[in-house]
Amino acid sequence: MDPAVESWREILAPQALDLCLLTAFLALAFVSFFRKSVALKYVTLVASVGYLGFAKSSLVSVSDVFRLTDLSVPEFKYSLAWYAFMLFVVFSTVLWGRVYCGRVCAFGALTQLLDPIIPRKWRFEIPVRVEKYANLIKYAILAAVLVYFLITHDVALPVRYVEPFWMFSLFGTTGMWVGLGVLLAATLIVRNVYCRFLCPVGAALGIISQLTTVFSIKRWSECRTCKICEKTCEWGAIRGPKIVKSECVRCDDCERLYMDQKKCPHWLILFKRKGNTAVPVSTLS
Amino acid sequence: MRKKLVALALSLCCGAVVAAAADRIFTTANPATELKRLFPAATAFSTLTGEPLHFTAYAADPKVTPATPPLGVAFWTTDLVPQEHGYHGPIHILVGMDMTGVLTGVVVTYDSEPYGYFSVEPPKFATQFKGKKIGDPFRVGGDVDVVSRASISIASATRAIRDSARMAAKQLLAEAAK
Ligand code: SF4
Ligand code: SF4
Repeated sequence: MDPAVESWREILAPQALDLCLLTAFLALAFVSFFRKSVALKYVTLVASVGYLGFAKSSLVSVSDVFRLTDLSVPEFKYSLAWYAFMLFVVFSTVLWGRVYCGRVCAFGALTQLLDPIIPRKWRFEIPVRVEKYANLIKYAILAAVLVYFLITHDVALPVRYVEPFWMFSLFGTTGMWVGLGVLLAATLIVRNVYCRFLCPVGAALGIISQLTTVFSIKRWSECRTCKICEKTCEWGAIRGPKIVKSECVRCDDCERLYMDQKKCPHWLILFKRKGNTAVPVSTLS
Repeated sequence: MRKKLVALALSLCCGAVVAAAADRIFTTANPATELKRLFPAATAFSTLTGEPLHFTAYAADPKVTPATPPLGVAFWTTDLVPQEHGYHGPIHILVGMDMTGVLTGVVVTYDSEPYGYFSVEPPKFATQFKGKKIGDPFRVGGDVDVVSRASISIASATRAIRDSARMAAKQLLAEAAK
């Protein structure tokens, strides 16, 4: 009858399944990231939409950025899975950049899975010149919702009208669904439009990765002139010789290209010099 | 380099607003309508006093008829269990309880849960607590409905109601029985 009579067993039992599934999913995300495997990446994306999205509806939301201002967090012992998830997001972003956006976030995963729906030629590619500035829109949105939150302390409006993550809970008004429809239609034409230009969470993670990324992507000296990767990057993160850390989501597309001894000029030039056609992979890097 | 500076400036701004985000109290100062909903038969309520803080409901104004027995008590979860946080901050719930430890109802007046609109805000959540005894299990998934995808909010609100009611019963009902 006393308020605090719960044993650890009573506290842990309801969370056990949740914790196991989350751990399994995050492990899958990590393995697919380190193996640089395309197949595993798609498995992760589908798992993200199904599990993290529709089943759990637990994504990093702009309200999690708000909590940095009032330091209000859920109770630890009752929300172990949530803490594990947030730790994963922060650590992975500090170490590798926006890995979260590349394969964990269910909305980002959904938009990536939408890619093959329409043929490439119907897509609109934003010119690099415009993209450079359009990228900044998300920071403006982040600043705007932060100010809005600090003035009103209202979480509900940004969560419903600024970000689309509520869609996985399936609770929305007609207006919200129409807005989402427009956004997804736009995503078909301009790839990952929400993630690249609008998402305040992506902006926040972008700031962290810009300041901290420990393990950045290697570039060859040939990257200065070669444009293959720049054209391949679906996130507009490669500009000339440089990778913009805050835009890169560690999708591995360019890293696979660097290793491709048939496409990447780095290898082609190397072979020409050496006069043979292949080097063992173990001597790379 | 410029990018880095911009990023640094942005994070500094974020830091600065932490200071600006001063405490704001959202508790309804005079919950007259909410109290009336919890105790429709009551005609008079005391002010919010006592240890723990509570309102007392009376069938007749005790100033006129001093011997009138209390119908029950009402209290804020945020006063009794302030440490209880949902997904984002405390959920403000006014709980009504009769003098035998049976809940006469609960009213959720404020929350800042991102998914509050389909978890703790719909009346469906509050109504299931009416008639619950303080000794009931209050188990989400048992005698309290699960709302998947908003489990942190539902679990927190349920704990807040359970713990505050048990706390109030322990201190106030024993007192009234004397
Ligand atoms: S940018 Fe936003 S929506 Fe896109 S993957 Fe990152 S967090 Fe998710
Ligand atoms: S292609 Fe390379 S630079 Fe572009 S997002 Fe993927 S990993 Fe980052």
